[in-house]
Amino acid sequence: MSELSFLPTWPPDTAGLPWFALILLVAVLLGEAVNRWLRLPRALGWVACGLAAGPSLLGLIDAIAFEESRFLLQIAAGLVLFELGQRVDTGWLRRNPWLLASSLLEAGFSFVAIYAVLWLLQVPPLVAATAAAIGLASSPSVVLALTRELRAQGQVTERILMFTALNCIYAFVAVSMLVAWLNAEYRGGWISVAAHPMWLIFGSLIVAFVFAAFTLWLLRLLGPRPDAQYMCVVALVVAAVAAAQTLRLSVPLLLLAYGTLARALDRDRRFVSLQFGRLGSIALVLLFALSAAGIDLRYVPAGLLAGVGLLAARWAGKTLGMFAVGRASGLSLRKASLVSLGLMPMSGLALLLTYDTAARYPELGVQLTTIMVCAIALLELIGPLTTQFALVRAGEASQASVQS
Amino acid sequence: MQDTQRQPVDAQRAELVFSDSQALSLGVELELQLVNTRDCDLTRAASDLLPVIARRKHPGDIKPEITESMIELSTSIHTRHDALLAELREIRTVIVESADRLNVLVAGGGAHPFQHWRERHIYDTPRFKHVSELYGYLAKQFTVFGQHVHLGCPDGDTAMYLLHAFGRYVPHFVALAGSSPYYQAVDTAFDSSRLSAVNAFPLSGRAPFVLRWDDFVGHFERMRSMGVVESMKDFYWDIRPKPEFGTIELRICDTPLTVERAAAITAYAQAIGRYLLVERPHALSEDLYLPYTYNRFQAARFGLDGELIDPYTRARVPLADDIRATLAAIKVHGRELEADAGLAHIAAMLDEGNDARWMRQAYTASGSLADLVFQQAARWRGEAR
Repeated sequence: MSELSFLPTWPPDTAGLPWFALILLVAVLLGEAVNRWLRLPRALGWVACGLAAGPSLLGLIDAIAFEESRFLLQIAAGLVLFELGQRVDTGWLRRNPWLLASSLLEAGFSFVAIYAVLWLLQVPPLVAATAAAIGLASSPSVVLALTRELRAQGQVTERILMFTALNCIYAFVAVSMLVAWLNAEYRGGWISVAAHPMWLIFGSLIVAFVFAAFTLWLLRLLGPRPDAQYMCVVALVVAAVAAAQTLRLSVPLLLLAYGTLARALDRDRRFVSLQFGRLGSIALVLLFALSAAGIDLRYVPAGLLAGVGLLAARWAGKTLGMFAVGRASGLSLRKASLVSLGLMPMSGLALLLTYDTAARYPELGVQLTTIMVCAIALLELIGPLTTQFALVRAGEASQASVQS
Repeated sequence: MQDTQRQPVDAQRAELVFSDSQALSLGVELELQLVNTRDCDLTRAASDLLPVIARRKHPGDIKPEITESMIELSTSIHTRHDALLAELREIRTVIVESADRLNVLVAGGGAHPFQHWRERHIYDTPRFKHVSELYGYLAKQFTVFGQHVHLGCPDGDTAMYLLHAFGRYVPHFVALAGSSPYYQAVDTAFDSSRLSAVNAFPLSGRAPFVLRWDDFVGHFERMRSMGVVESMKDFYWDIRPKPEFGTIELRICDTPLTVERAAAITAYAQAIGRYLLVERPHALSEDLYLPYTYNRFQAARFGLDGELIDPYTRARVPLADDIRATLAAIKVHGRELEADAGLAHIAAMLDEGNDARWMRQAYTASGSLADLVFQQAARWRGEAR
């Protein structure tokens, strides 16, 4: 026997298997199938792959495999968030102040609406507030995947992208404030109440600023060599993800701020020719599949009523906010309503916020997780469709991609 | 470009009646690029931008063009260069401020340096959809941006004289307005690559050599009876008569990078027009057109460094020298029209070069075509370099 020890053991040792490669492969194939035969967004195929592989169905990805792929997931999220951050044009917000107004109103109304509906459903106030705060987030991966797939251009596209980035920031800030409040409620200790959110928010912003300034300095040093510039930026994005984890800052906030600041400080427009094409697409597929694998479908039946209520309230709040100042910001009411539809998706980021908060405060745990996981599971399926509908109805999807 | 619905016969006749207009009155149309602020590629913006512009009071008219990445401004009728320039500046301000609210940049230039025509969206009207179906990829490839100058003529015969007499000066305008050196991300070596895109259309080129309006109408009727054209708009000539306005329309200019240059080129056309009508310096014959395409190529390829074969003297002269000589010949007419400032701008260009030269310098300095477009937008906005 020992003479044949070079042969693999049977059954094979699955612990070291690169699950993410397999998942990527299956997700891509499913995505193409969904697009070709059902004419639906590819993202639905990626989500289906993740759901199937996850613990509630086939159980291919268990907690250990999930933990092992966590850093990969963070890097994928980092790339996507950085790219989205680049779509936030601070100059535009300055030139058209009504944009920020409509973004704040849209977020504010949906927070209030979610809280009110959950309160009517007799959800405890703290859980309702946390759910409303998490519900502020829109999904960066869905909007980026769909604008890319449809090659969409125009006002509805630009606004969906920018408002999504802003919504993620609002959600993150609101959740950290609430966490601080929870700290006071359950643990006491005013130092951590005040200090922890400050550390998360300002720490992330400062590190993002340092990264952005360094990136621009490096790009200037390199001169117009797109390949080298591109690789440096990718390396720095990964480094920023690692820095966020080491310093126990927020990966989403830091990476969004990094992208935004890199563009805002880019006076010589060194970023204009940088395209995140291929690598960004791979990151997106992985992000969809892995975050869908993190959804525990057992929560869905119990959370259905509250989950659906949350979605309806969230949509109503967004639409109301967009209508309120849509025209003043230079958009017809029809297109404003399409923007609010396009902002519907929630996915990985909201899931991450849910699990983190639930893990830290088991007092909220089960009820919060039930509601949010149900709402997110529904949106993983509906969200890509509403965003696709919004972009196509606005006439902003590429005519070539619509016909093909 | 024209829709297919057959017009009633009376309307067709009426279209060919040459409306009288004040001699040498002016009107300008400029096709403009709409680009995004992220990577400066052309973007789908016209149908979002036009309603925002429509909410503000402004002179002239601002209309959609065939693709969503293009709008066209047109001025009202003018007789003086300074009033034309003032109106152009006013329209520009309205467009730029509206575009700012939508995060869209507006730029001059005859072609976008690196756009991919596959990505262009056709503006959603029946007429544009029809043109797009008829011409296929040409319609999207025709995402090029021109300046059209209308010169008023008192009657149809004068219009035909002016149209043909102007043929000799066409290379001047090609060279002065040349602002499309880059196309599909390469340096084409041309100062005006746009002109080559126009050449692809079946009815491009020049008008037939007829000098009386009635003969021209006869030519048009024969073409129409054969089904080659349905209306005057189907001719994509370098210069074509526009009977309903009572003008001839110069269509060979790229859109310059600034409204100042657009107004100066218009003033130059007006002064040449007055020189031709008042002095009638040339006896016209079809020989005029023997060197026409050669001269036109020289101007599009080499710009102000090209050379020109004078169809009357048959001498070969540097194009810049010919413009200098023309400026001297039309000086009194420029003064009469109070267009001196515009002509001074043209004279200065002989030393400073045209927009194509400026674009090549800007690209050499920054190494990025996207950055070049950004700088074009800054110029259009009126920010000094």
